[in-house]
Amino acid sequence: MATRPATVSRRAGRFTGFMPLIALVALTAALTAVDPDFLTQRSLTAALRTAAPLIVLAAGATLVVLCGGIDLSIAALASLSTVLLALWLPDLGGLATPAVILIAAAIGAAQGTAHVLLRIPSFIVTLGGMSILSAIALVVSGAGTVRVVDDSTVSWLDLYIGGFLPTSAAMAIVLVALIAVVLKVTPLQSWVSATGYSESAARLAGTPVDLVKIGAFCLSGACAGFAAVMLVSRQFSGGPTMADNLLLPAVAAIVVGGTAITGGHGSVWRSLAGALVVTLLRVGLPIVGVPSAYEQILYGAIIVVAVALTLDGSKVSTIK
Amino acid sequence: MTVATEVAVAPRRTPRRGASLRDAGPPLALIVIFLIFAALSPQFRSADNVRNIVDAAAVLAVVTCGITFVLMMGSIDLSAAGVMGASALTVSLLVANNRNDNDFGLLGILIAVLLGCAFGCLSGLALVLLKVPSFMATLGVSAIGLGVATLMFAGVQPNITDAMLESWAIERFLGFSYLTWIAVACILIGWLIQRYTRLGRYAYAIGGAEEVLTLSGVRVKPYKIGVFALAGAFYGLGGVMVTSQLGAGLVQAGDGYDFSAITAAVVGGTLLTGGRGGVLHSAVGVLLVMVLTNGLVQVGVSPYWQGGVEGLIVVAAVAAAVIPLRRRNQVVK
Amino acid sequence: MSVPALEVRGLVKHYPGVKALDGVDLVVRQHEVLGLAGENGAGKSTLLKALVGLVTPDAGEIYVRGEAVRLRSVVDAADHGIGMVFQEQSLVPNLTAAENIVLGSEGPAVRRGIYRWDAMRRLAQEQLDKIGSHIDPLARTDSLSFADRQMVEIAKVLRIEERSQHPPVIILDEPTSVLESKEIETLFAQIRRLREFASVVFVSHRLDEVLDVCDRVAVLRGGQSVGEVATAGAVPGELHRMMIGSTGSDDHYHENAAVAVASEQPRLSIRGLSGSTFRDIDLDVAAGEIVAIVGVHGSGREDVCRALFGAEPTTAGEIRMDGKKVDLSSTRAACAAGIGYVPAERKIEGMVGPMSVADNMTLSKQQARCTGPFVAPRKQAGLVDGWIKRLSIRTPTRDTAIGRLSGGNQQKVVLARWLVGGDIRLLLLDHPTRGLDIGARSEVYRLMRELAGTGVATVLLADSLEEAIGMADRILVMTDGRVATEVACPNGGKPSPLDLVKVMV
Repeated sequence: MATRPATVSRRAGRFTGFMPLIALVALTAALTAVDPDFLTQRSLTAALRTAAPLIVLAAGATLVVLCGGIDLSIAALASLSTVLLALWLPDLGGLATPAVILIAAAIGAAQGTAHVLLRIPSFIVTLGGMSILSAIALVVSGAGTVRVVDDSTVSWLDLYIGGFLPTSAAMAIVLVALIAVVLKVTPLQSWVSATGYSESAARLAGTPVDLVKIGAFCLSGACAGFAAVMLVSRQFSGGPTMADNLLLPAVAAIVVGGTAITGGHGSVWRSLAGALVVTLLRVGLPIVGVPSAYEQILYGAIIVVAVALTLDGSKVSTIK
Repeated sequence: MTVATEVAVAPRRTPRRGASLRDAGPPLALIVIFLIFAALSPQFRSADNVRNIVDAAAVLAVVTCGITFVLMMGSIDLSAAGVMGASALTVSLLVANNRNDNDFGLLGILIAVLLGCAFGCLSGLALVLLKVPSFMATLGVSAIGLGVATLMFAGVQPNITDAMLESWAIERFLGFSYLTWIAVACILIGWLIQRYTRLGRYAYAIGGAEEVLTLSGVRVKPYKIGVFALAGAFYGLGGVMVTSQLGAGLVQAGDGYDFSAITAAVVGGTLLTGGRGGVLHSAVGVLLVMVLTNGLVQVGVSPYWQGGVEGLIVVAAVAAAVIPLRRRNQVVK
Repeated sequence: MSVPALEVRGLVKHYPGVKALDGVDLVVRQHEVLGLAGENGAGKSTLLKALVGLVTPDAGEIYVRGEAVRLRSVVDAADHGIGMVFQEQSLVPNLTAAENIVLGSEGPAVRRGIYRWDAMRRLAQEQLDKIGSHIDPLARTDSLSFADRQMVEIAKVLRIEERSQHPPVIILDEPTSVLESKEIETLFAQIRRLREFASVVFVSHRLDEVLDVCDRVAVLRGGQSVGEVATAGAVPGELHRMMIGSTGSDDHYHENAAVAVASEQPRLSIRGLSGSTFRDIDLDVAAGEIVAIVGVHGSGREDVCRALFGAEPTTAGEIRMDGKKVDLSSTRAACAAGIGYVPAERKIEGMVGPMSVADNMTLSKQQARCTGPFVAPRKQAGLVDGWIKRLSIRTPTRDTAIGRLSGGNQQKVVLARWLVGGDIRLLLLDHPTRGLDIGARSEVYRLMRELAGTGVATVLLADSLEEAIGMADRILVMTDGRVATEVACPNGGKPSPLDLVKVMV
């Protein structure tokens, strides 16, 4: 009796583990069937280039979700970071990139600290954070686009390795691999999972729950900063709302990847797959002749359905 | 029967029926903040500006009315922006406008409100049937609403020519715009629902102790859906009101209202954990937010800071409510 | 004699690993107050839950006035005239007393979804009048005193009278645990009034209360009914003997393995420790000593235990480990000080169900499986497999999710978590054998002895008095957040449970 639910969830876990990959293959096949030109190096390269910032954003936020929280501020933080980067590039040059990522990481850590110390639910802290960061971005940018005249120090991100692999996409994948490996070879994986699956058990086992959570938010912030660098390198400008429309796709990428919103179950690899699925949907809609207005509807539906599928229903008795 | 009389005289906390000292906080804060700004800025205290504040609060008040019921249950609703966008486009395409020959007048408005209601239902169903936490469900529904709005927008902005709807924002009664009176009516209706209907009372009770309701044989699911539907209807009306203000249906009609409404409700004394607060609290919260943002602009702070101020207020208000209840080893997601 | 109001025959309920009810028989006559007594884990709460439809029994029958019934929910039970006042008060705090009383069956108070406050107040007043309470029906529930809230609960339960045409059966589960003595007297007066028109089942830890208010007491032990006592002329001792039963002669607690305690400097020494639910606790535990803390529900012993692990804040006092003052401001600090804690709620607080045995075992002492900052897979495999073998944990592999093991094996993994580091000095065991079957219990006891033998100090919150006496070298009795007394419990000179009960209540 006791073992049955665990077996079921294990089997379900194995199934959802392959789900994003299956979706990825199916989507590619479907798009190729509709438009044989899709499976060409040129359009795949374009898709990867589009996906890069999304992968980075989703990967960072995945850690927060793994800890059982949510970070709704990533897009706003990325927008603010594009503005800061565009403003600082003329003075700081090559130092602007690390400076922006550091600032973003610090902002993420600050939100994590507020969440942990003040015991405010993470979605409220980051919802408030989103609002505050947007306001700061508006104020420092004067509510306008900040052009980048000399982008020599960030343009490397917009190059192509071997002519076809966008540097940004390569960096995104390296980042995901790095996070995954660091988690794997250190006790961090154990700590993050324990915190996400059962925070009280983790705490009573002496796990540094608070630090782990703050760290997750910090990394989520840093990733938002890095995504901002990618955006600036591509658009030659920063804007106070430039990345705002990436929030839904990023959340969709995480849940489509199969990371449970209740925490514990999931990985950054899944979010990578999820981000690719979301990107394919995005570039695929026009190919199959669906107006891009359906994109939003799709994100909304995906989020609801994917959360429902990956939710560990046994864990939460009353869903608020 | 000596025993029973002993109980009657036994010391106990005085039973509370109406307002308590805790409930008096937000109104006091409203008065204090108003007085501070009035002292700082002569422009702020002008009758015109006060009327502006109240008129500008109308839409937010209606939206906050709706969200209050959801918050009372202990859930949250991020769908206002999407629902308002969809309803704004719907109403602008159904009343007299420059895109088509429709002229449904009040019926069009009603349909827009019902559409909002339907979106609310959708959130409620996702919460109850699919067990998706409300902030995720409503985030998704908001996206769907925006998508529907974009579809209806179809690249051409529908400008309304319906005399009645246009008059709402322009005509005044007793010094205030019709929209303001509509908001007042909504607050009244909201208060009546909260006080005199099972839906309202159960929303309150669900936030207080959901498991007790279940234990007493109450089926809470229909009420949860009902509350989200009710909130959706309020957002729908909010979308209509924004359309009246703008004279056109815009996808972005509801931009920012979701967060402002949460801010207003929380500042008014509605707990995010549910079970406390109410429509009248939220009305005070709306005025507080409006006075604060208007006042800051009047004393020379950039209007861009508005969102930042709201963000800080929410975090501070939630923290203030939560900190006294902090426990070690407490699980906060 | 008329047909019994309620009768239970051969009720059986299994939970994974335990038989909570093992063929319980119970008869509740009309217009009587029946007491229900039994130690923790005797099956009282499962039985009560079965009576109000919260638990579906695996076998056995429930008869209401001679008629066999299946109770599927609380509402179902109420329709049959059975209602319960729950131990944790089950009122919605932010509603009025009147709303709580009519909740779920508002009748004329709500028409087409619209509240009629006058009708509601009248309806509630009727119920409150039945028990002669003077509570304002429109007062908010959370503004009432505990005693008044209990009256509201009773008034609420009495609403079932209107549902069935027969005298109701009212179950009161530990109704006195939150009440002052004067309030208890009022409650008892109410119970005696209730007898006029209802049958009452009364459950309490305090045996003197049970004897005071009940006509008859039924005793449960180990999920079985072991007998009844007519309360007229009975003494608590008699009742308690039935609850505990005779201690078997077998060495269930491995008492022979008990070690002599070296008494130089105490391993743990706390002085004047105070927190929100306990005050001025003094306690010394020597290395290798097992000290049990006993006390009734609300004695504060759980919180003392958690405070020693840094999971509960303290307001005053000091804690010393081996003479050195330690600051236990967090669970991490406690871990670093060589303190381990096995929580009572194993499934929620003790283990991380979906994670593997290996991960669970090394969760607290990560350095044991790491070289530098990195996890060393081979080191981990050797370590975990070694402990699986040493504690004979039955698991397919070390990578199996701990949730798939049986309760006893789960508990052994949780215990091993503190041993893998080799630096454990003090173990806090909060109901370590809760929900385990006899075999698993015995193994946990053996393990405790072994650890004590290696010099680990143990603080035990036992599942039963029997367990505390069997395992402990010394017993601390707590009442109302204070240490009432200390009872030496050496091998060969063990006190009887009765001696303890006398000082506990």
